[in-house]
Amino acid sequence: MKIGAKLQDKFDLVIFLSVIVLLGIGIVAIYSATYNHPTAKGNINKQLFFIVASIALLFILYFLPARTFRVVALPSYIFSIFILIAVLFLGKTVYGAKSWMSIGGLGFQPSELAKIGLIFFLAHWLTDTKRDINNLKELFYTVIIALFPIFLILLEPDMGTAIVYGSISLAMIFWSGINLFGLFVVLSPGMILFASLFGTIPFIAALLLVIVALLFFKQNLFISGSVFVMNLSAGFIFEFILKILKPHQVNRIRSFVDPTADPLGSGYNALQAKVAMGSGGFLGKGFLEGNQTQLRFIPEQWTDFIYCVIGEEFGFLGSIFLIAIFLVLFLRLLSLTSLAGDRFGRITIVGILALFFIHFSINIGMNLGITPVIGLPLPFVSYGGSSLLTNMFLVGVVLNIYKNRKHHV
Amino acid sequence: MSDDYFGSVLRRRIIFLIIIGMVAVQTLQLVNMQLLESNKYEVKSNDNSVKPFTVKAARGIIFDRNIEILVGNKASFAIQLTPSEYDIEDSKILEKVLEVEPGYIDKILMKYKNFSKYKPRTLLRGVDYKIISWIEENHKDLPGITFQVETKRDYSFGINGSHIFGYTKEIGKDALQKSKDIYSIGDKIGFIGLEKSYEPFLRGMNGKEYFISNSRQKIVKRYNEGKSNIPPIKGNDLVSTIDYRTQKVAEELFSNIRGSVVAIDPESGEILAYVSAPQYDLSIFADVTSTTTWDSLRFDEAKPLFNRGSISMYPPGSTYKMLMAIAALEEGLISPTQKINCKGGLQYGNRFFKCTHYHGSVNMKDAIEQSCNTYFYKLILKIGIDNFHKYSTLFGFGKKTRIDISPESKGNVPSKDYYDRIYGRGKWTDGYLLNIGIGQGELITTPLQLAQYTSLLANWGITKTPHFVKGYIDSQTNEFTSLQFDSVKANVSKSTLKFIREAMFDVVNSMKGTAKNIRMSEISICGKTGTAQNPHGKDHSIFIAFAPFDNPKIAVATIVENVGYGSTYAAPITQKIIRAYLENRNEIKSEKMTINLQEEM
Repeated sequence: MKIGAKLQDKFDLVIFLSVIVLLGIGIVAIYSATYNHPTAKGNINKQLFFIVASIALLFILYFLPARTFRVVALPSYIFSIFILIAVLFLGKTVYGAKSWMSIGGLGFQPSELAKIGLIFFLAHWLTDTKRDINNLKELFYTVIIALFPIFLILLEPDMGTAIVYGSISLAMIFWSGINLFGLFVVLSPGMILFASLFGTIPFIAALLLVIVALLFFKQNLFISGSVFVMNLSAGFIFEFILKILKPHQVNRIRSFVDPTADPLGSGYNALQAKVAMGSGGFLGKGFLEGNQTQLRFIPEQWTDFIYCVIGEEFGFLGSIFLIAIFLVLFLRLLSLTSLAGDRFGRITIVGILALFFIHFSINIGMNLGITPVIGLPLPFVSYGGSSLLTNMFLVGVVLNIYKNRKHHV
Repeated sequence: MSDDYFGSVLRRRIIFLIIIGMVAVQTLQLVNMQLLESNKYEVKSNDNSVKPFTVKAARGIIFDRNIEILVGNKASFAIQLTPSEYDIEDSKILEKVLEVEPGYIDKILMKYKNFSKYKPRTLLRGVDYKIISWIEENHKDLPGITFQVETKRDYSFGINGSHIFGYTKEIGKDALQKSKDIYSIGDKIGFIGLEKSYEPFLRGMNGKEYFISNSRQKIVKRYNEGKSNIPPIKGNDLVSTIDYRTQKVAEELFSNIRGSVVAIDPESGEILAYVSAPQYDLSIFADVTSTTTWDSLRFDEAKPLFNRGSISMYPPGSTYKMLMAIAALEEGLISPTQKINCKGGLQYGNRFFKCTHYHGSVNMKDAIEQSCNTYFYKLILKIGIDNFHKYSTLFGFGKKTRIDISPESKGNVPSKDYYDRIYGRGKWTDGYLLNIGIGQGELITTPLQLAQYTSLLANWGITKTPHFVKGYIDSQTNEFTSLQFDSVKANVSKSTLKFIREAMFDVVNSMKGTAKNIRMSEISICGKTGTAQNPHGKDHSIFIAFAPFDNPKIAVATIVENVGYGSTYAAPITQKIIRAYLENRNEIKSEKMTINLQEEM
């Protein structure tokens, strides 16, 4: 026990072991989903390779000096913006979104990698001692930092990842101490945008709500006026985005709002996933015995719909076990926010937590039919090299922050 | 900005609650889907992957009255196409191999375009084994093309019977829409004849085989190891009333002539033999029938598709004279012994109505025996139009017999109303009746009606609706169930019928009888010759007969088109048919036969 305690002091076993368990579940599920599959049979080997590589990456990050992340914050953000722009010109279109790029024969998703830059730079920016997030000017700069990559990702267009970026930024801004009015200022344009997806009348109704809220906050006329103008322009920016997007991209955004609009596309998958989950019952149909999975009723099941493999073949027990492991991971990350040595470390962990949590919520939600089908992989479980490397990189960052929690940098 | 504002306990708690809230919602949904509603999803999951396939049921066999096969079944290959898997690029080569016209496959696809694309369509039936092996060899390059062993009709048992049995056709899409639970795509359905009338008995029930298929509808394995499969139920076998040997003889006799013969058991109404000549070859309908074959049948001047037995319309000629005699006797208009002088015809008004010969003084029996027209010209004037119509109708003329095949025509029995309608009220005279009095003119009958009329004469005024089917043998229990048919009665006094029967006996057996050429010592045939005038060519030869005299077992109506007198053609044919049937039934004593043979030698 002594060795264990000593190890725990340097290395957070809760985080590490829960991630390892999730990787193991992922291997089993991917194996089942690609078993005897004509084209995806090799995926299991690729995934194993990426697991080994990403664990190595995790340890490299673990041993890096504590200061490193703060130092690289700005350069990594600039690099992120650079690759997000590059992919728009050099990228390969996969499933209607220009989100893939290949360098030297190795394909990757810039929007996965760029998450790291966003988290580091926002953490650095928000923990600058001179910064007051409740100063509207400062808030405005912060929102610009957050929105710029989101804007680029929407151009791909990749709605799901944009939501992830928004969630990360929102969680970090929230953590940094924003007051209610500031939160309103940050959230209201998003609300307006969302409302305008449904048409003109919801858009006008949302604008009226903004006016009511502004009257409630009783800020001076200039501030209230600029917030209103910002909201109004958000609606028109949306119109502008619709104009520059291609029809099939518009359809994707529309079907996000109303999945039944595309029953043979995402609607079909959602339905089949629900059938797979539900028919699993309490104990499941057994490994490699799920007919929904083995008869390939859910396309590309090893990526976004991996959870229903577990649901079908391992039933309620398997499904709830996986959720429990994630819950352990999330709560441990949350508790680490108070253990971390400095504010940069704490808010970085909040960003990472937000990233894992939004992926988890939307992915599990769409398998259960409670959220719309937005193509987001389940962290550590779904097949995919870019997302695995990014996630393990960030786990390495968390472990590093834990190791250095007693040093004040 | 203060330190406890950044990452304050409140903010941490809010995040904690969001995490717990989300997990709680997910857990609730998991409980709901996997524990509470699991059954519902299980059903859906099975619906997804368990695919039923129709196994076509074989049609029932058609037997003769002694359980000899008339129409059977044989194995046949059918090529099927499943649109969801099919590659339209393959059509060109496939059409070449199948030897069908270009665009044939497109036509089939268009025809059933409203049906599920996962359901196979029958592309071609009766495909040669060589083509099947070619398809087997190339099945990897022909996605969606499969073949099925099914049964088709086998007509190789020596009986043609084209107008009796009829044929089946692939069910049309409108009929299919209406009875989706009974039939599936490519099922055959009786189109005409017994195949149509007894379709519900013959068709059987298609079976189902269940397979597990994947999301691309590819069969992976059998579902539940085949335990859930429903085997097809073969259709019930029909036991027809046809007598194999009699039918065979009748078909041979009609092989080179046109016309029709209907032979009935007078007591039961069972049809023993039925020919409408020329016939056609039913086996051309066993597979897909090409348009050229169809057209050659449809436009054939001899009209092979036309069912002469039940729909062709001829005047009955002198065979109608018995009916006139019955009307006169029943109404007490004349005594059978009363004589009428025949001077080779009758002058009526300014027209002379001819008789066949100069018969001299004849009574009723003589007039029937020698077929004297003059006697019946005078008789019809006594009978009048109303009684003519009354007695014609009594013996089933002018209405359908309701035989168990369709179509059937009614024929035409003139009445007062009819003449008023045709010529106008008061514009016709009794002179118009002279022709119908000898079975010519506007009087029109079918061979089937004549056969029923003969049955009534043979069996003392009572018979049953003529029919082709005695009953059916249930394919599952093997039990025979007989079908019931209505009685047909002609209420006429026994003495009248006795007189008529004797007159008909004399037609064949007396020295002056018009059909004495068919007299046989061993069989007492009773008959009547007739000649139907034909404005388009030579007259039709008609003969009706029954035998034996004492206890009639067979009643026959024979019509031979465009040959002349009844005694010359129709009578010998009738005699041979009667002999074939009675010999088969051992009604003729073999000793008598040998004596007869020696006599002839």
